[in-house]
Amino acid sequence: MGQLLSRPGKSSCVARCLLALCAAAATAAQAADWELDVDARLLSSEGGKSFLEAGLGTVRFGQDQSGLRLGRARVAISEPFGEVWTLHIDASAWGDQDKSPVGVTEAYLQYRPYPFSGYRLRVKAGAFYAPISLENRASGWESPYTLSSSAINTWLGEELRTIGLEAQLDWLGTRTGHTFDLGLTGAVYGWNEPAGVVLATDGFTLHDRQTPLFGRVGRAGYEPLEPFRQIDGRAGYYGGIEARYLDRVVLRALHYDNRADPSAYDAVSGAMAWRTSFDSAGVRIESGDGWTVVAQWLNGYTYIAPGGFELEWPFNARFALLSKRVGRHMLSARYDQFQVLSGKGNPEQDGSQQGHAWTAAYLFQLNPQWRFTLEWLRVVSNSYSRGDILGTTGLATETQLQLAVRCALGSSVQ
Amino acid sequence: MRLSARPHHTVGARRRVGNSVPLGLRLAGLVAALGQAGALFAATIAITVQEPGGHPLAGTVITVHPLGSQSQPAPAVHAVMDQVSRAFEPDLLVIPVGSTVAFPNSDSVSHQIYSFSPTKRFQLPLYRGTPYPPVRFDQAGVVTLGCNIHDDMVAFLLVTDAPFYGRTDATGSWSAEIPRGRYRVSVWHPRLRDEAADLQRELTIGETDRATLTLRLAKSLQPAPLEGRPHSWDSY
Repeated sequence: MGQLLSRPGKSSCVARCLLALCAAAATAAQAADWELDVDARLLSSEGGKSFLEAGLGTVRFGQDQSGLRLGRARVAISEPFGEVWTLHIDASAWGDQDKSPVGVTEAYLQYRPYPFSGYRLRVKAGAFYAPISLENRASGWESPYTLSSSAINTWLGEELRTIGLEAQLDWLGTRTGHTFDLGLTGAVYGWNEPAGVVLATDGFTLHDRQTPLFGRVGRAGYEPLEPFRQIDGRAGYYGGIEARYLDRVVLRALHYDNRADPSAYDAVSGAMAWRTSFDSAGVRIESGDGWTVVAQWLNGYTYIAPGGFELEWPFNARFALLSKRVGRHMLSARYDQFQVLSGKGNPEQDGSQQGHAWTAAYLFQLNPQWRFTLEWLRVVSNSYSRGDILGTTGLATETQLQLAVRCALGSSVQ
Repeated sequence: MRLSARPHHTVGARRRVGNSVPLGLRLAGLVAALGQAGALFAATIAITVQEPGGHPLAGTVITVHPLGSQSQPAPAVHAVMDQVSRAFEPDLLVIPVGSTVAFPNSDSVSHQIYSFSPTKRFQLPLYRGTPYPPVRFDQAGVVTLGCNIHDDMVAFLLVTDAPFYGRTDATGSWSAEIPRGRYRVSVWHPRLRDEAADLQRELTIGETDRATLTLRLAKSLQPAPLEGRPHSWDSY
């Protein structure tokens, strides 16, 4: 027995290593915050063929997809490393025809030192959303008000992701006897040079499907697009400001420019670099009796110049959302307006689109785990591509009714 | 924020009065009582705080300092500020100088508590449960607490060197038995907008058995923090 204790055999060592690994894994699992959500939909749609199936529908589900569908299955983990570093990974399955059944929408390492003298610094490295949306505030970049995001934020989820480095410096006035906080954000990034092509071909849409990092977005008449790739090697940037009055009002403004070389293209895939630049601004106001107002505005252009000729598509969009929360019930209504214009070198109005949308949603949060949402969405749009690519009339009115049942589990769900 | 009235503070302040009076003062009081027929050792001080419209303001912190004489702070206490459902519970504590406060985390998510207030700077690295010993507060002043993970979590500690203190109840009132004399009465609330000078009054407790003071604020409070929003709403 003494020999056994003093000279452990190989199998004993392995067992000890396994035990140590199990203990380490258990410790890590205990430290990590995690969340698992499943969102199932029962829907009735009078929409055109979905953008995921090379259609020009402006809603997520086309007429042929009515019935029971997967809204989203999501797993998210935030794992701290040491005291001030956190790794966050957000992965989702959308139940559609992307390359992989599960895709990562965000994956980043965050550095969050303790606030000092009223200032707070946050640095993110990896892939994440730029701080533009005031609607998609819930975990998983979801809107807590409606199932489908506004036209502006749907586009951000489809084509934009910061794959790079972002720093945010906040002055915490509310922690030092003032009524407001101020923040500055700046980022440099790459792998976002095709951003804009979906606007120029399909136009704006309204849905909640976010493109995973290695995922694709369907385009009518073309091969699906991978929006997160580098073509010319130039880094893009954005800079933004944020002001908050207590926890009642948030104001955000941001300038984005991916600085893509509009003449660059990938010789193998034929993918082009789209120079996309825009300004965005938004406000969110919340009252003590459950009212919320969200308004956002976006104005910019996307531009290509392959082989010397230039094509430009200016775009703009806006929406206003009004929501009232009473206990576990919430009613929301939103009006969207959006348009993609034909700019320089594009007299044929190729890719232009104008439209507006009404969204109404009722949400019942039974408990932190279970949520039921009923959403009605009507989009009226006129798209040049419908006639040009699909050979149908440009004007379309699409209606989608969805009932979502969502179950959330995890340490982050309270 | 739940700045509700905490009647136990009022009770506690009353209880502490007897313990906090220095022996010399007690003897002086006894001599005075013997020397002046009819004079009583202690009297009741009753403070009422109202909002500009006259509504009572519950949860306001009252501190009472003697004027013209040295005083000892109230005895130190051992307090607890828990973290429940991503909020500090309670979100306001008044403690005498030298007190300790434990910060357990009863949530299933980790918290990382900090203060950068000059009164007391400290950090409790990422934790669940109660891995750290209580924190001691040796300097009078306001300490603003936050969580470095959940930015919407905020709480306040008022560390006081006053011998008498408490918080107003649902009727906006606080009272205590204190020795006769001259005092400076101060009120504090995290959402006050009045100038600091307007939040203090001098009060002399002479022959009467009961001294009352009603302080009506000139400016309405800042809006209370929003309640009832799911925590997951502040992810971006």
